[in-house]
Amino acid sequence: MSEQHHPLVVQKIQEKYPDAVLDVADARGELTVTVNKDVIYDLMAFLKNDSELTYNFLADVTAVDYSLMEDTLMKYDYARFMLVYHLLSTEKKQRLRVKVPVHENELSIPSMASIWKVANWLERETYDMFGIIFENHPDLRRILMPDDYEGYPLRKDYPLRGRGERETFNFEQQNL
Amino acid sequence: MHKDPDRVSGEPMTLNFGPQHPATHGTLRIVVELDGETVLKATPHLGYLHTGFEKLGEHHDYNQYIVVTDRMNYLSPLSNNFGYVLAVEKLLDIQVPKRCEYIRVILAELSRIADHMVWLGMGALDLGAFTIMLYGFAEREKLYSIFEKTTGARLTTSYTRVGGLMRDIYDGFEEDVRAFLNSFPKTLKEVHTLLTRNRIWMDRTKEVGVVSAEDAIDYGFTGPCLRASGVDWDLRKAEPYSCYEDFEFDVPIGANGDVYDRYLVRMEEMVQSGRIIRQALDNLPDGPVNVEDYKISLPTKEDAYGNIEGLIHHFKIIMDGHGVQPPKGEVYCATESPNGELGFYIVSDGSGKAYRIRIRPPSFIHFQALPHMIEGGMVSDIVAVLGSLNIIAGELDR
Amino acid sequence: MGLESQLGDNIFTTTIDKFVNWGRKNSLWPMPFGTACCAIEMMATLTSKFDLSRFGAEAIRFSPRQSDLLIVSGRISIKMMPVLKKIYDQMPDPKWVISMGACASTGGVFDTYTLVQGVDGFIPVDIYIPGCPPRPEDLIDAVMQVQRIVEQESVSPKKRSRAIAS
Repeated sequence: MSEQHHPLVVQKIQEKYPDAVLDVADARGELTVTVNKDVIYDLMAFLKNDSELTYNFLADVTAVDYSLMEDTLMKYDYARFMLVYHLLSTEKKQRLRVKVPVHENELSIPSMASIWKVANWLERETYDMFGIIFENHPDLRRILMPDDYEGYPLRKDYPLRGRGERETFNFEQQNL
Repeated sequence: MHKDPDRVSGEPMTLNFGPQHPATHGTLRIVVELDGETVLKATPHLGYLHTGFEKLGEHHDYNQYIVVTDRMNYLSPLSNNFGYVLAVEKLLDIQVPKRCEYIRVILAELSRIADHMVWLGMGALDLGAFTIMLYGFAEREKLYSIFEKTTGARLTTSYTRVGGLMRDIYDGFEEDVRAFLNSFPKTLKEVHTLLTRNRIWMDRTKEVGVVSAEDAIDYGFTGPCLRASGVDWDLRKAEPYSCYEDFEFDVPIGANGDVYDRYLVRMEEMVQSGRIIRQALDNLPDGPVNVEDYKISLPTKEDAYGNIEGLIHHFKIIMDGHGVQPPKGEVYCATESPNGELGFYIVSDGSGKAYRIRIRPPSFIHFQALPHMIEGGMVSDIVAVLGSLNIIAGELDR
Repeated sequence: MGLESQLGDNIFTTTIDKFVNWGRKNSLWPMPFGTACCAIEMMATLTSKFDLSRFGAEAIRFSPRQSDLLIVSGRISIKMMPVLKKIYDQMPDPKWVISMGACASTGGVFDTYTLVQGVDGFIPVDIYIPGCPPRPEDLIDAVMQVQRIVEQESVSPKKRSRAIAS
């Protein structure tokens, strides 16, 4: 994991999408690029296919609910959620974190399932836990929670012990 | 069941595999559509063991959460402990003493052997080789007594701490581990004799559940499953963490990406783990196992009971709202757990509890590729493929 | 007493209850409902070092219809509880239930939105085993406790219901 590679990555992204890059951070040896939602699909395809970047491996997709962290909220125009993608290049042995702010009133983002097959379930889990809709997703259903579950457990306004679902869950919920 | 018993092909039959099934090793469910014995379509269902680990991370402080990581992959809890504290230490930007790193590596590699032993036993049991399971478990029991002597628990070890270890290893640890290292190759040899050239075993595993190298990367495979497909990728080599750059070991690579190759890769990994442990024991440094920063690691019992500074440090770390408080920021730290890349993504808001903890679970990602691997195959291959992926339900559902 | 002296050394007399209970208690057929960490310790109990077959309970049946002892070992989520209930209902009477470990008994360290806080809210439990996870010896002890309960059962439905009420 050499940090010498980082400026090149940033430069290439900025050249390709000059208006979309909201923030670049290089801390603890990890490069983070925050970009606008509009370009995310094209950017990911670019990162995967560019011969100098070769981020061929999508390690993780998740989201963070920033509603209790005031300064981050302010920085990104009160976008409540932040989609977080962790990319890896097995050829260059480089990692990259791409973040995308998502506003609560337009909770949707393009799905990466057509670029990486691994994105399918990771996005389903993010939908299950945060309620973020992935456009053009092949099969967007709940994955960990029961199908008839209400609420999104990893949002900050959801209590740790739930809202009584532990007692009132439906015994007939699944066609076993 | 078919409505018309005379019709072999025609209307597909739906078979419910799980959630309670002997070959699922936990709680997962696959709904399979069959034409005769051929699998037409497989739909995995999961979440039967969803526990809310990630939510719990926002309510526990950094040291408390170690207890939760044990219960995630219960075949190799020490690897989880290890991966998690590495992430927190990266967030804190501290360097633990060399002795601590070596002990962590020894125990992580021992738990890799324990994991592969159980995987071997259960995988072979599913394909009808009951003896292997008894052999594997007998070997693992020896490891469990070492773990118990070291950590105080057989399974839920909670041995690492942010900035060090719960305590140093016991006197005689080295002899116990060396005795194990001398005995377990014999078991491996017996297993090789029983399985590797066994006609039944080869027929059941060769060219079953094949994943090509491109598909393996597309599906996010890591660990032994990726290497069995012929991709040379091991985080211990590619991004050496802790002190893995000090050791010499080989990374076994498969060629065909089938169940048989996954078996061979895991068998060889156990031997390589043995090599790493031997080197670590030979060069085990002396010294403390905890960082000497009383804002992070607990003072010794003598200090805590004997002088006021020690008592205050102890109190400050234990008290809710004090303790380990990493600076604001975020970190992703990946380690090579027995199943593959186990990543912890931690967002800190500067307080004593994480703002968000995300776990990148290898089992979850491997399980996604199951339909790809079994569709078009025979129904009995499902068991072989599922066994070869080593799905741990606790990590799958978190 | 009088009868036995007439029959000779090779014939014993006993009550039906005692005879049936003797058979049942020494041949418990467990249905292992293993979900998480406790299941690993349950597997250890069944294999070489601890060997549950010494207590006549090694005939593991994964089909509830063939078993009389349900061992719930591991965390039970709200998605899993209907499955567990269904499995319990499918077991033929008489049946006994062991709740193995803190999670199955009380939810354990996981007081979260998705875990059932103790399976005894939904199915009757005979023996609880504390521990996270319990050691294999604890499970063996629980099986022996179940054997003690089995000893007091009766084939007569009347007596059986009385035993449960007390």
